[in-house]
Amino acid sequence: MHERLSFYVKRESALHQLNPLTKLTLVFGLILPAFLVPFYWTPHLLLLLVVFPLAFLGKVQGEYFTAVTKLILPAAGFLFVMQALFIPGGETVLAKLWFLTLTQESLMYAFANAVRIFVMVSSFTLFMLTTHPSELMSDLTQRGLPGQFAYVIIATLQIIPQMQAKASTIIAAQRSRGLDTESSFARRVQALVPLVGPLVFGSLVEVEERAIAIEARGFTSRRPKTSLREIYDRPLDKGLRWLLILIMLASLVSRIWFS
Amino acid sequence: MNIQIENLSFRYPNGVLALRRVSLEIAPGEQVAVIGQNGAGKTTLVKHLNGLLLPTEGRVRIGDWDTRHYSVAKLARRVGYVFQNPDEQLFTKTVAEEIAFGPRNLGYPGERIQELVEDALQLTQLQAMRNTNPYDLSPTWRKMVAIASILAMDTPILVFDEPTTGQDAASVTRLAMIIAELKRRGKTVITITHDIDFCAENFARVIVMGGGQVLLDGPARTVLGKAEILAQTYVDPPQITRLGLRLGLAEVVCTPQEFLDAFEKQCAA
Repeated sequence: MHERLSFYVKRESALHQLNPLTKLTLVFGLILPAFLVPFYWTPHLLLLLVVFPLAFLGKVQGEYFTAVTKLILPAAGFLFVMQALFIPGGETVLAKLWFLTLTQESLMYAFANAVRIFVMVSSFTLFMLTTHPSELMSDLTQRGLPGQFAYVIIATLQIIPQMQAKASTIIAAQRSRGLDTESSFARRVQALVPLVGPLVFGSLVEVEERAIAIEARGFTSRRPKTSLREIYDRPLDKGLRWLLILIMLASLVSRIWFS
Repeated sequence: MNIQIENLSFRYPNGVLALRRVSLEIAPGEQVAVIGQNGAGKTTLVKHLNGLLLPTEGRVRIGDWDTRHYSVAKLARRVGYVFQNPDEQLFTKTVAEEIAFGPRNLGYPGERIQELVEDALQLTQLQAMRNTNPYDLSPTWRKMVAIASILAMDTPILVFDEPTTGQDAASVTRLAMIIAELKRRGKTVITITHDIDFCAENFARVIVMGGGQVLLDGPARTVLGKAEILAQTYVDPPQITRLGLRLGLAEVVCTPQEFLDAFEKQCAA
């Protein structure tokens, strides 16, 4: 009811209008160059000149920068510190802390790596913020992805909030029967059986019902299926995808060529 | 044990205001039905009775206990709550064990638990199924197990959330018998229901909710006769009541017997 099924934020923007597959290609069109192109400042430039503007283009800058400060920055920062301190080698010693040495080389290496991770997580975040999961799935199934595969992914996304809702009802029901879930640790452990039992039984029953329900709606039919969602694939999308594939190839070639 | 609800407002974390300044008093031993359309606030209201929800504003008192100061597990001594879906609480291997779970949590002595389980089995007519696994029973009987498991807690107040949904006629009759027996024992029974006939035949007092407020509250006969207000919350009076109204009987009738009596009186006059 109030749990969100996905990260998706519904807005009208150029990024939202792109075909899901184009956006997925864009994700890899950002990640591959960031990791492969030998030029040192590639990930940094990509982040500043492509990823950040894309967040504004998709009108999800608020959500995106919240994710950056809460998740991406701490993770990348942690990675940076660890790598800067623990990667061996490098001549130019900048500082010595007890048994740790900080060299210019390890610092540079860690900085590039942290920004690569930043770019990778950011592009996926932007993708998820601007793409509805079922839109992605219906697009991919129309392109030939087996329906079973799409179902598994969608069901996995949906099962978490459903299980949460179910678990909280069960907890409420058992507490109403005097089950103490709030005092000592031993009590809480004892309280697990009455909570897990109905959750597992209920979920098994649900799986069966779900199977019957989707079967009744022609899930295994081999005929082409129509979809409630109309997904657009404009010439712009096709052009963009080719461009991105070229960029990916170019970064791969540059990697092999210059090393 | 009386229930006092004073100026109760409740807002869900997502911002929905589900109850607006509801004030009610329910005396010990009353049989109350709560009716109204989906989303009217019925379940939200009764979840306040055992502390599953706490007031955003106002307060709820069960006897001398303010629900804000007692845990749900503590309040379970005073208020038994039967949830809609029995599958969300059944976990033991036998019916008898399931029924004993509540009274054991409340810390009753062994002998008394035995008595309470026997009594609940008998009230719900589950004696023959005492050693069956609840999941081997039909949904109708599983519901009875859930009800028995609350009856055995011997609380002065009982709350039923839509007990008749999905039940066959035999089960509804059994429920009516249970409620009559609870009344005889002086227990307070509060039932949410969409089954208007069930409501008319078994409850002396009816509370009609709509939009988070109490629209009507009073004796069943008075409340169920007010078709226009009931319509606001998408409730039709019972068929027999509507028939009575159409025939222009002098009084509002709720049960077939009342209808017959009123009709005979009308004809004689």
